[in-house]
Amino acid sequence: MLPLLEFEDISKEYNRFLGSRPVVALEHFSLQVETGEIFGFLGPNGAGKTTAIHLAMGFMRSTRGHGRMLGKPFGDARARSRVGFLAENVALYHRPAEQLVRFYGALNNLKGRVLKNRAREVLEAVGLDQEARRNVARFSRGMQQRVGLAQALVNDPELLILDEPTSALDPIARVKIRSLLLSIRSAGKTVFLSSHLLSEVEMVCDRVAMLNKGKLVKLGKTSELLQSGQETEIVARGITATCFPAAVETDGVVRFTVPVAQQKFALERVWELGGEVVSVNPVRRSLEQIFLEVTGQQPEKSALGVGG
Amino acid sequence: MRHIALIAINFFREQRWPILVLMSWVFLLSVLGLVVDLRKASDDVLFIFKQGVGYGILFTIFFGASAIHNERKTRRILAVLSKSVGRGQYISGLITGIMFAAAIYSFAMGVTGTWVLGASGFPAEHLWLLMLCVMLVCLLCASLSVLFSTFLNPLFATMATGIVLGLPAVAALQFRSRWAEVVPAYSLIEPLMKASSGSNEPVRGPLLMLALGEAVFFWVCAFWIFERRDIAVAVD
Repeated sequence: MLPLLEFEDISKEYNRFLGSRPVVALEHFSLQVETGEIFGFLGPNGAGKTTAIHLAMGFMRSTRGHGRMLGKPFGDARARSRVGFLAENVALYHRPAEQLVRFYGALNNLKGRVLKNRAREVLEAVGLDQEARRNVARFSRGMQQRVGLAQALVNDPELLILDEPTSALDPIARVKIRSLLLSIRSAGKTVFLSSHLLSEVEMVCDRVAMLNKGKLVKLGKTSELLQSGQETEIVARGITATCFPAAVETDGVVRFTVPVAQQKFALERVWELGGEVVSVNPVRRSLEQIFLEVTGQQPEKSALGVGG
Repeated sequence: MRHIALIAINFFREQRWPILVLMSWVFLLSVLGLVVDLRKASDDVLFIFKQGVGYGILFTIFFGASAIHNERKTRRILAVLSKSVGRGQYISGLITGIMFAAAIYSFAMGVTGTWVLGASGFPAEHLWLLMLCVMLVCLLCASLSVLFSTFLNPLFATMATGIVLGLPAVAALQFRSRWAEVVPAYSLIEPLMKASSGSNEPVRGPLLMLALGEAVFFWVCAFWIFERRDIAVAVD
């Protein structure tokens, strides 16, 4: 099956004024997004995430390389009719929400009753059906972002590209949008999600790509990335914390991590000391920890809440 | 065509307040028609009419020169161009929107002019021919200012449009009158500007065709440049 979104060795440079050195936003960037997945796109500010999205949408041209969206070269207007897009810091015309969503739907070739019904459906899906007749100029930023999401969904897109969709939302709205994204995936659609909210990405994304200084630095299934594969956390009872280095005792339960190669030895040691093994689990890392690693930052162990 | 119409109507809607301000000239002209003795003050009324038409043309340039910049600055252009809308359709929608505003204004001025100028003996047929010329000048201004707005900020786009439209007129005044026909905005507006209650200059038909051809040429150039522009880059 052809990938839905494909970047092939793409580079993008922004030329600066009067011949100073151009700014490299993306460098030899290649990525494939498959049908039916929620794909997380992560990176620090200035990593090139938005540039990659704008290239895919045809808002700008690559300096080198090329890409395809829904089998068509980037920038193809017909392909965009099957795509939904929500920009970071969404900006909308000031008019009633339903009217606005219908305007965007009409630009995606929807007409008549289909358009009318679809506009109502998507406003209901984002929790704004009661506010459909209110002017978006009077909406809060979070509500405007939800209208932005509604306009992205109005054409029932095969591919949904979202740039920071939950940044201005309150926790309740976030949960709602999260379940909406999951239902979109259940319907066989694809979501390309760029976000700074790593916990959100961790919860919904099947695969994740991390970008740093315009380069792809990590790509893989979320579940595999979160498994370190290097260490095991052992929880035991009936021993003291001094028996193992860096072990922590709370309420009579001792927790410590050991390298996978020493797991058998550690378990035997617990039993030798007369202790009881409560659990043995591979250490799960958080996306935040991986993110800080690949972007060259050192995580503060106490802040991460991860054993070991 | 539907996309172009949607963008044009949207543009018109977004510019409704400046258009309303422009319409105050029609209102002023109507008030003059009611309170002034049109036979005695015909030249004064004609002067006001000419001024109103001039402002209409100026507004067309301002609309065109700022259209793309404003949309890029507010980032609203992203949501529009993320839909099934080509760059050519977007440019065409803007120019159509500007022309829609110009057509409504010209029609309102034409109707009011027929009434107030007709009372002083100004021939209605000639007035509507002049309004057709005004429309073509507006089209020329709109396509040229939108062309410049694809790569210049509103101030420079307005200045560049003014230079391209004005230089032939200056050259004609300094050297030969045919220079004005290079970009025939001045040549088309000249019969209106020189019109008086006593005499009327004829409108040259080929100039209408030339203006139309040039407007289409500027339109195509605007599309060609805009197609190659990075629209997501910050404009400030």
